[in-house]
Amino acid sequence: MGLFSRDGQSGRERRAMKDHLDELDELRRTSLGELGEMTVGMANEGSFDRRALSEKATQVVSIDREADLIARGLEEGLTLEELEDLARREDEPGTDPGASSTSRRS
Amino acid sequence: MRKGALKKKQRQLEELHLDRREALGELVLGMFVQGNWDDSLLARGAAEVSEVETELKSLAAGDLREPDSAAHDFPATGEYTAEHPYPVTGEYTAEHALPATGEHTAEHALPAAAAKASEKKVPDRKAESKKAEVNPDKTASPAIVPAPVPPSASTPTPVSPTAATPSVPAKPAAEAKPVPVPKPTTSPDATPMADPRPAGSTPVVPAAEAAKEAVPELSPLDKLAAELEATESKAKAATEAAKASATADSKTELSAITREVESDRKKLDDALKAAAASIELANRKASDAESKLARESAASRQAATEWVRNQAAEIEADAALAAEIAPKTEAPAPPPPGSASVEPDAATAAKIASLEANLAAEKAAKAEAISNAESRLKAIEASARQAEDRVAAAEKAAATGAAAVAAENDEPKSPKQSATTEAEAREAAVTWLRGQISALKAELSKDASTSAPAAEPRDGGS
Repeated sequence: MGLFSRDGQSGRERRAMKDHLDELDELRRTSLGELGEMTVGMANEGSFDRRALSEKATQVVSIDREADLIARGLEEGLTLEELEDLARREDEPGTDPGASSTSRRS
Repeated sequence: MRKGALKKKQRQLEELHLDRREALGELVLGMFVQGNWDDSLLARGAAEVSEVETELKSLAAGDLREPDSAAHDFPATGEYTAEHPYPVTGEYTAEHALPATGEHTAEHALPAAAAKASEKKVPDRKAESKKAEVNPDKTASPAIVPAPVPPSASTPTPVSPTAATPSVPAKPAAEAKPVPVPKPTTSPDATPMADPRPAGSTPVVPAAEAAKEAVPELSPLDKLAAELEATESKAKAATEAAKASATADSKTELSAITREVESDRKKLDDALKAAAASIELANRKASDAESKLARESAASRQAATEWVRNQAAEIEADAALAAEIAPKTEAPAPPPPGSASVEPDAATAAKIASLEANLAAEKAAKAEAISNAESRLKAIEASARQAEDRVAAAEKAAATGAAAVAAENDEPKSPKQSATTEAEAREAAVTWLRGQISALKAELSKDASTSAPAAEPRDGGS
């Protein structure tokens, strides 16, 4: 009957998603700190390398995308498989940033 | 500054550094997302981070050696804050100015060790300031005259000459202009007895000048401290909010699970009720059909018996009539004695013969009809027995079906499935009943058709 499940999502999946969301939050903060540190270093050198900054920012954007996906899964009660499908579907027409965000999880 | 306070400040600075770095990262991220790069803004953000880094480094360097008030932009007198305990002498700093009245507030609470001294000192200071106001010529010192500045936390107020004495003869000492200061006239316990510095050897700075120096020097540190405190309070508030939200989240989840369980239980109860109602309905229909069948079979049996009885009565009546007629025809009345013997009339004899022939034919027909009726009665009885057997079989099937339904209800079954099963059972019962009724009707029509030809010859014969 699935008394403790919400829609198709099991409690274990929900917990795993929450944990992963926390990990992503921590990773985002770390990446932002690294980005700031990189910027300070460039400022000390007197020139900003936009390409390097963009690469690092792309990582943060991909983390954000993945976090949004997980949050949506939690909100709509999606299973992990449904979430994978959704990520694949979102990645198909996708252009750049979070192209490899879901593959990192698998 | 104490070592613990230094460590605390260092920790706060490190947190601030992290926050600013993250903020700078957010700024870069925003520029990347919008595709709008602004180097000057980046340089400004980087400068802010560098500023905190520099402070952190200087603080770390200051932690290694003896705390230097000059290096930390401390006023010459040595500042007092919550983390910088008041010296035993109750030294006054510009940062934590007491009002001119010497009023003591909880905000500027002194440590217990210094409380006693300060309690004694404040009236002295007040008295001295009063004295200075009353007799300005005698004192003739600008340090004693209260400066007309607005009261604020960083505004200095006139204090005792000892309080204006710099704790360390460092940078301010070079700038300080030694002026003649009146010797304190206070009692010995108000003198800096715990102050290790020699009173006469320290250069004295006028309070107004000290305030002028202290205000711009202290303000960045004050701002930093306030900022750190604000950050700390924000972090605490965020932690509490996160805890509260986590608690609320778990409560919400628990209530959702409880609601699901309750709704499932309600659905199960409804399904059980529906199944019980359908079983009851099926039982009632079966009992109705059974009673109807029994009534119809009894009525048909009774009708058949009645018909047979009627037939038998008619046959008996005919037989009696024949018996009455037979003596009259066979043995005519003897002629009266003495009369001549009368020969029977030929017409009469022919009539008698025809009557006898008719009677014999009627008897034969009646006997045949009786035998037919008996066989028909036997057939009806056999069919009635068969019907009873069918009824018994139907009862048995209904009992089996009810048991099966009860067994199915023990297991969780969807209402849709149970409704389908019930509809099928009902349909089967209706079909069976229709078959029974048509069979009975056919039997009854047969009875009618057999009784009609049997009655015809009788009517025609009479």
